[in-house]
Amino acid sequence: MASKEATVYIVDLGRSMGKKNHGRSKTNLEWAMEYVWEKITTTVSTNRKTAMMGVVGFRTDETDVDGIVEKDEYPNIQVFSRPKQFLLPDIRILQEQIKPSSTNDGDILGALVVAIQMINDATTGKTGNPLKFERRIIMVTDGQGPIDADDLDGIVSKLKQDGIEITLLGVDFDDPESGYKEEDKDSDKEEHEAVLKTLIEDSGGNFGTLAVAIEQLAIPRLKETRPTPSYRGTLTLGNNVEYEATLTIDVERYPCTMLAKPPTASSFVVRTDLGSAPGASTQSSATVLGDGEHTNGDLSAVRNQRAYQVDNPEEPGTKMNVGMEELERGYEYGRTAVHISEADSNIVKLETSPALELIGFVAKKKFDRYLPLGRTNFIVPQKTNDKSQLALNCFVHALFETECYAVARLVSKQDKPPAIVLLVPYLEGEVEALVDVELPFEEDMRRYKFPPLDKKYTISGKVILEHRDLPNRDLMSAMSDYVDAMDLSNFGVDDDGNQTEYMKFEDTFSPILHRINQIIRWRATTNTYDKLPDPPQILTKYSVPPADLMAKAEHHLDALKQAGDVKRVPPKEKGRGKRRREDRDKPLSGLDVDELLGNPKKVKIDSQNLIPSFKQALAATDDLDAIQAAADNMGSNIKTYISASVGDSGYGRALEAIRVMRDELTELEEPEIYNVFIRDLKRDVLDGKLKGDRREMWWRIKGSRYGLIDRKRSFASDVTEEEAAEFYKK
Amino acid sequence: MASPQENRPGEEEDEEEELDDSSYKTVKDAVLFAIDVSPTMLERPPASDDKKAERDSPTSAALRCAYELMQQRIISNPKDMMGILLYGTERTDLKDGDNTFQHCYLLSDLDVPSAQDVKQLRDLIENEEEVSDLLKPAKEPASIATVLFCANQIFTTKAPNFTSRRLFLVTDNDNPATNRQDKDTAVTRARDLYDLGCSIDLFPISRRDHGFDRSKFYDDLVYPTSPSDPDAPALPSTATKVAKSGDGISLLKQLLSSINSKSAPRRAQFSVPLEIGPGLRIGVKGYIMIKRQEHVKSCYVWVGGEKVQIASASTTHMADDTARVVEKGEVRKAYKFGGDAITFTTEEFAQIRGCFGDPIIRIVGFKPLDCCPIWANTNKSTFIYPSETDYVGSTRVFSALQQKLLKSKKMGVAWFIPRRNATPVIAAVIPGAEQVDENGEQSMPPGLWLVPLPYADDLRQPPEQVSSLRTTDNLTDLLSKVVENLQLPKGVYDPSKYPNPDLQWFYKILQAMALEEEVPEDPDDKTIPKYKQINKRCAQYLEDFGVAFDSEFKALTAGKSKTLTTGRKRVKASTADDDDDDEDGVKPKPARKKVKTEVKKETASQTPSMTDQEMASINDRGNISKQKVDVLKEFLGARGLDTKGKKLDLVDRVQVYLDRKGL
Repeated sequence: MASKEATVYIVDLGRSMGKKNHGRSKTNLEWAMEYVWEKITTTVSTNRKTAMMGVVGFRTDETDVDGIVEKDEYPNIQVFSRPKQFLLPDIRILQEQIKPSSTNDGDILGALVVAIQMINDATTGKTGNPLKFERRIIMVTDGQGPIDADDLDGIVSKLKQDGIEITLLGVDFDDPESGYKEEDKDSDKEEHEAVLKTLIEDSGGNFGTLAVAIEQLAIPRLKETRPTPSYRGTLTLGNNVEYEATLTIDVERYPCTMLAKPPTASSFVVRTDLGSAPGASTQSSATVLGDGEHTNGDLSAVRNQRAYQVDNPEEPGTKMNVGMEELERGYEYGRTAVHISEADSNIVKLETSPALELIGFVAKKKFDRYLPLGRTNFIVPQKTNDKSQLALNCFVHALFETECYAVARLVSKQDKPPAIVLLVPYLEGEVEALVDVELPFEEDMRRYKFPPLDKKYTISGKVILEHRDLPNRDLMSAMSDYVDAMDLSNFGVDDDGNQTEYMKFEDTFSPILHRINQIIRWRATTNTYDKLPDPPQILTKYSVPPADLMAKAEHHLDALKQAGDVKRVPPKEKGRGKRRREDRDKPLSGLDVDELLGNPKKVKIDSQNLIPSFKQALAATDDLDAIQAAADNMGSNIKTYISASVGDSGYGRALEAIRVMRDELTELEEPEIYNVFIRDLKRDVLDGKLKGDRREMWWRIKGSRYGLIDRKRSFASDVTEEEAAEFYKK
Repeated sequence: MASPQENRPGEEEDEEEELDDSSYKTVKDAVLFAIDVSPTMLERPPASDDKKAERDSPTSAALRCAYELMQQRIISNPKDMMGILLYGTERTDLKDGDNTFQHCYLLSDLDVPSAQDVKQLRDLIENEEEVSDLLKPAKEPASIATVLFCANQIFTTKAPNFTSRRLFLVTDNDNPATNRQDKDTAVTRARDLYDLGCSIDLFPISRRDHGFDRSKFYDDLVYPTSPSDPDAPALPSTATKVAKSGDGISLLKQLLSSINSKSAPRRAQFSVPLEIGPGLRIGVKGYIMIKRQEHVKSCYVWVGGEKVQIASASTTHMADDTARVVEKGEVRKAYKFGGDAITFTTEEFAQIRGCFGDPIIRIVGFKPLDCCPIWANTNKSTFIYPSETDYVGSTRVFSALQQKLLKSKKMGVAWFIPRRNATPVIAAVIPGAEQVDENGEQSMPPGLWLVPLPYADDLRQPPEQVSSLRTTDNLTDLLSKVVENLQLPKGVYDPSKYPNPDLQWFYKILQAMALEEEVPEDPDDKTIPKYKQINKRCAQYLEDFGVAFDSEFKALTAGKSKTLTTGRKRVKASTADDDDDDEDGVKPKPARKKVKTEVKKETASQTPSMTDQEMASINDRGNISKQKVDVLKEFLGARGLDTKGKKLDLVDRVQVYLDRKGL
């Protein structure tokens, strides 16, 4: 948890803020607000009640400082919001208020006094003590307004006394640090800049030019999380009950990596009960964007309602609803339901006690880097325990010196399932600790096999080293040159201009996380728009090779392309070519099965062997009539499956036959034959012509998307995508 | 992309990817075991006194394998089907009253296995008499053509739209066709099966006097590619081992190992281009080779009928305010922000995630392998292997890349989007060499691995360390001896040696309950360290270390300020606590509150602390609730018990503990 915050933004709303300077397309105010909105929305998105914000404007047309200071002494200063938690409606209201005024009068220092007072009011306890708060004031101005600098010292000492951190960002202020200097600056502004700079420097605040601040907004901010231990206990070697020589170290376990999750969207539905209410209708008709404008007022959360069904024992083949009160907890063992009563619910749990116990050690060199399963944790000694500190440090160094990792069994809490973890020494700067990561169990490994990549076997088992699937020497050396040329380990530049690794972990930012946050914040302050903004460049920077390195490696890449000679398979040709008999797959021996059968010109569709005989019939002929005949035969078999089905018993077979027919006719580029069939089938199914109510069958066809073959799927089809989509609607 | 297998019911690609990756599309698999029952298959090895000697006939070994596989698949693929067909039996029975398929006996029908199927199979294996009754070979063997057509019918009716359908054929007869015609029929039936989309996996067994020659017959029946995995070529036939008995390892083990390697059909999770450089793309497919296997989630069952039934749930969406049923199309997604909802249109939603481009693995550059330290792990790795479907020449370029990376100990760094709208990941592309086990079987395939790397947002800082005591060379050397003497076999971690104890226990109990049998008492937990061995191998080194540690610790802390001394006192307090604790020595797993390396017991009791007896007498006097929370916590903590919760909970826990000890 972060500490409590009170931040007041002081915004210059003077007439001059409405101008556009230095060829910018935005007014000075719009530009400055880019920064302020970003700050405000970032705070709003944390949803923290303890992050309070207030907003004060100066050089405003009106004066409103009621209840804070004497009105007469602070003209042209307007308080828009006292420190409080900001919500979306607050943003919307503020948006209405932030507009350039028609005056240039109003003193920024006056506004500062107001802001200090506001913070004071909001952060003082009932007894008059200042509460623990982070106090901040952020000012944006173009420095054109008059400044009465008489009480500068008083303000500075008040700021210091209250512990307020002050930041001033000026529109086109000179900033020696970034090297910005405004040409032809008018003398008033120059003078004001100097006064403000003195103020900020004396009170130890931050003084900067707006351009730099906005540029820095692009670097995503990282959320800090206080570490919480997932295990507190001992790291042991040996069993210290049965044996005397054991090692026991008190340790704690904290996250080392943890995937930062983007905010998730929740489900809402537009409320219908408000439809005729006058308020709602005027509001929605006034909106430009339809959906985009709904607020909680006319959106309702969506709840999931679950209904449970079981087979009806009275009437086989039908289902019946059962209420929650009739249901008990259980598990599936294969297709058998096992009932485990509430009282027995712990019976399937393995009883364990918390422990981190060493199993043995493995060599670092032989460890397969791809084995670890999840995120990592630090194992550190128990706090304020010097013995643990020393012992764990010995252990870390012993692993480091022997180039070994430890394998250990971890039970993080009572009765939690044991995990096997790898313990790795971690020595980075001051931090010396262990890092653990989970390793797979036997059941976690899928033993798929793949052919070797550096040799080929013939059917008889002979090894071949030259083959089109194996790289030749040219390709090997081109690849080697290219890989070496694209080395990133010294391509980066650090803050001091030294060579360093390019694309370190800390330089990369989670694209989805920051993208979604960006869009939410942007949308909160944007009412009308044509399209969504692009993601900030920093999120896509590392999605492509660095251009200057690529340029240097270009000729190696060309050589590699040439040696590799990779050809793209045109999309249309994929999967084709197996239609002709001689191209059909052959068994290991290479035997031509059709030849064995005397290459029959015609294959009869066998309802007992429907799918194979259909495929073989199509392979045997080029004749359209024969194809049509095979399809007709297939079609009538499919209908028989459906009409003979008891309940849904035949639907699976029918569905599979439909799929095969659809795929084969697509490949033969005869979509029309299929489309005629499926239209006819749909009619028969829905009209109840296949012995009873077969709507379930139609839902399955629909669910499997076995409808019309459209143009996208087969260029020979005259069915449009819209027609195909329409076909699924009843 | 439109491979014929990609559009199965319930397997459509979801365009709008949800946030978790568990929604990978699943491929359902049906396996039918066909086990040859013939005089030679039933012949038992000669009796031997050697305990390790072969006992099983090939047929019963095959049945045992089927039994193992069935239990294993209930855990790993609970939705997949399995069946067992015996052929060559005197009896004919396909459980449907039809006698078309002579000498075929359907032992268990192709279906998701039930507890009864498991029991039936186990009884068969354990009950010799029933076996001999059922496993009686027919006078004339079943023809392979009949078996294949029988399998064809079973697959067509029981698993019509399973993406993966496989016939596991176990036999020792390398030439079952007696004449030309028989063979031709078998070849045709095998092709029918292939056209149906089923594959045949042959598990050949050689007889003692007769090897198994695949080229005689089966090479005409078995196809090199699998219909469900068309572009990843299977291993060549020679890579399939012929199992034989009396070869050091038992026939059963050999069979198990080859069947295990096929237990799950290979399932590609995604198919994307791998861009090695601008304008140079090859095709690859991604496979999940390592994934935490969880046990099934609990569900609702209906116990109102004679038989316990699983209740199937259907979900409807309802508006929270009016309880009106809402159609899927009406539901809007919105982000909560500032106490309100920020909504976007469906198209905008797609754009938010879609702005990072199409699925791809794009190599940004290369780095040395040590730029992917283990501490930076965030998630499981994905295996990739080349595919020629979209780019001809992919395999050779991929191979060149893999070999180069292996040789130079380098890795690629890639921008990786596995599916449309999926979260972009930066991944290390790590080369994996092929590994083979002692039997020459592949234990790890050759290819590349995508190891996801952390973003700045995913890195956490360790808590600050208060103490800065550092080891000495002497201590490090002494402890290094322990490390060197406790190496796991060959210095590697082998997952196959460690079954998940929790998962195994769960299913053991579940199986017993499903069969209404006695629930087993003792879990078999292979993850518990081998204490005896540790003691044998390391006691001396630990002793040396312990002595050195105590003196060096004194030396290191001697010159320190007073604050440190107070710190030490606290540590000592718990030390004493633990020593007392040791005296009762009954607890299965004491947890200590200190660094303890001593060999000679430190009997010197420092600050007095609570023993079991003391706590028991306080309890007897009814004063337990007067103890301070700290005292209770320390007492519990020293015994490895939970120290969380309110005082009442702590008191409760202490009492339960004392109760269990009979105090």
